Amino acid sequence: MTYFRKRFSIISAIFEALIKPPETVDYPKGALMLPEGFRGALHFDTDQCIGCGLCVRNCPADALHMEKKSRDEYKLIHYPARCAYCGQCEDNCRHVAIYHSNQLVKPTDNPAGLIVVLKEKKEA
Amino acid sequence: MFEALFYLLIFPGGFFLVLVGLGFEWLDRKLLALFQRRVGPPWYQPLADLIKLFSKEDLLPKGGNELVATLLPLISLCAVLVAGLYVPIAGFTPYSFEGDLIVILFLMSVPTLAYYLAGIISIGIYSILGGGRSLLQYFSYEVPFLIALSGPAVLARSWSIEGILTAQFTLGSFVLFQPLGFILALVGLIGKLKRDPLDIPSAKSEVVGGSLTEFSGGKLGFWHLAMNIQAVVGIFLIINLFLGWTKLANPFVAILVFFLEFLVIVGMLSSASAIFARLRIDQLAGLGWRILVPLSLAQILFVILMGV
Amino acid sequence: MSKISIPIGPQHPLLKEPLSMKIDISGEKVLGGSLRLGYVHRGIERLAQKRNYVQTIHLVERVCGICSHIHTTTFCQAVESLLKLEVPPRAQYLRALMCELERIHSHLLWLGILAKHVGLDTIFMHTWHDRELALDVMEEITGGRVLHGANQIGGVRFDLDESHFPMIYANLEKLRSQISGLLDILENEPALIARTKGVAPVSQKTIRQYGVAGPVARASGVDVDMRRDNPLPPYDQLKFSVVTMPDGDAWARTIVRAEEIRESLNLCEMILEDLPDGEVSKRAPRNVPEGEVIIRSEAPRGELFYYLRSDGTDQPARLKIRTPTLAALCLLPVQMSDIQVADIPVVLAGVDLCVACADR
Repeated sequence: MTYFRKRFSIISAIFEALIKPPETVDYPKGALMLPEGFRGALHFDTDQCIGCGLCVRNCPADALHMEKKSRDEYKLIHYPARCAYCGQCEDNCRHVAIYHSNQLVKPTDNPAGLIVVLKEKKEA
Repeated sequence: MFEALFYLLIFPGGFFLVLVGLGFEWLDRKLLALFQRRVGPPWYQPLADLIKLFSKEDLLPKGGNELVATLLPLISLCAVLVAGLYVPIAGFTPYSFEGDLIVILFLMSVPTLAYYLAGIISIGIYSILGGGRSLLQYFSYEVPFLIALSGPAVLARSWSIEGILTAQFTLGSFVLFQPLGFILALVGLIGKLKRDPLDIPSAKSEVVGGSLTEFSGGKLGFWHLAMNIQAVVGIFLIINLFLGWTKLANPFVAILVFFLEFLVIVGMLSSASAIFARLRIDQLAGLGWRILVPLSLAQILFVILMGV
Repeated sequence: MSKISIPIGPQHPLLKEPLSMKIDISGEKVLGGSLRLGYVHRGIERLAQKRNYVQTIHLVERVCGICSHIHTTTFCQAVESLLKLEVPPRAQYLRALMCELERIHSHLLWLGILAKHVGLDTIFMHTWHDRELALDVMEEITGGRVLHGANQIGGVRFDLDESHFPMIYANLEKLRSQISGLLDILENEPALIARTKGVAPVSQKTIRQYGVAGPVARASGVDVDMRRDNPLPPYDQLKFSVVTMPDGDAWARTIVRAEEIRESLNLCEMILEDLPDGEVSKRAPRNVPEGEVIIRSEAPRGELFYYLRSDGTDQPARLKIRTPTLAALCLLPVQMSDIQVADIPVVLAGVDLCVACADR
């Protein structure tokens, strides 16, 4: 008897799946739920950044680049197409100037969107 | 004359069969998706696929016979469309004569042979393998299928489908007298349509597309249309031979009963597709000749003795 | 019938990643085959010599997508052993939790692929849906589904607090009930047994000759498991059993991997109960002193082997990775000698290919 019960467990699994709602989401018409800690697009806070360059040193994908002339004149550039969403820059920054949100990165067809200047500070 | 053209092109041949074929494909894919906890395609998906296929580029490998490759899907399509004329739909058929069951069974075998030829002439490695497998499969399921379908003819003492339908109205649904024959006919239909679990000639993981690997564009569109209409005509045949009860006085009730029986058989085919795993070709040959043929012979012996 | 040679080429519906095999067949019988790798070679060992240690962790994570966490764990253990740094116990337990969750998700992925090749599409869809339960847990605690970024030199980068536990326990409970239903189907479905039993058995002698480890070896009776034989903490304090089967055919490999999912679920619950308190990471110096070290650990597919040599700077001098799939792939031409064409997908699935691992 247990042989038959186990043999037909796939049949009961199928008919149970017919009654319950489906588990896939009709994206992009349906909603997509992402948890809080998901590492998504990078956000940058211009006021907090002091131009130390620690985020650039440990980026594994060469997505951050700093042109630094002196303590008060620097330019921080970000290449979103190279970013690996690892979160190492967020870990290294001591002033919470660069951090991950939980939004997905939207595709763009604008070639200028591939280079983003995060902060540019010139000598006064 | 115009009546003949109407029967040929609009109903019950031609346009009506194409519509029902597309509807069958949607129903099958949606049921399979619901069994697998997915959402499934919207209702216009098979039509969209057909239109997309006709707008694609049409290539064949160098050395393949272009004329024969174009004719084969067209011949299969014509064969199943003609077969659709003789199967009663909700009890109505424009032409019927004694012996049309045999003609329909001949016409329904034409797509299988065309599939085998298509594999041979499109000279790719996977096509030849798929074509050879389809012929092996044909020899395994066709004999029990034919014997199982002769059961209702013996019981009704008539070789025309309309006669069998009338006989069921007096004697009762034939599935009650020969349930084994019903199951064997369904298994044979799954083999003829090359669906899961008997889709050995076109198994995606072993031979990439079977005989149809090298076809593309309009030719592939005609192949898909022919296979869908073959499925629909096969299902109509089984409904008329085994389930019956559609030759009633009120046409609307007849259409409703026919539609419900159609849904029941499509449900059974989709469930079989979801439950079972694919067989190997030697296991299918063993199953066909060692189990199915003796069962079908036993069934027909029982029917003959009961008729006496 | 004459002999023809079919290519299971770089593109084929059977393969997830590119691989090239030429198989000689005659009718429906397979006579032999030859193998060719290298389509996904990215030169990771050379790239690691140009990056510092923190960047190399993220580089090594991307060797393979399915077993990414065990690569970073092994690399971090290698660097910590050169630095003579003692990782806090809470970090060790959290690393083991992620390893076991990854083993569950990898074996469930493999079960779905085997079912799809045999023709059971329904089991494929149901298994991959149940895999989402494990992936949701990993996403909730570390922030990534497949590439977690969980490790750093000296500990881990995430922490569990009280709000995570109910969700983790609920998912593990649900996974346990779904797994038992699934294993019932797998062990009793006649079509699956008919397709996999007796197909291409491999003897113990061949396994030892080719140096294969992992579920493929355990299915032939070779009793080897890095978590028990060469344990790094915390595996020396956890109790679990190692599953072996004597036959060595595709059916034995299915059963071994299916039972390993159950063992991993038990291990996850043990880890969550015994989780010690404390900090999760220690600060590590930037330059690593000179030395060389070998670390071996148990990936979902077998034994993973890392060799690391440092020369006092903050860039590795030489990193050598030997992944388990490389040895298992060399077994393939041996197995392709007495089977039918319809058994090729079953044999390929039994090896559990991860060609990105093999090519690096």
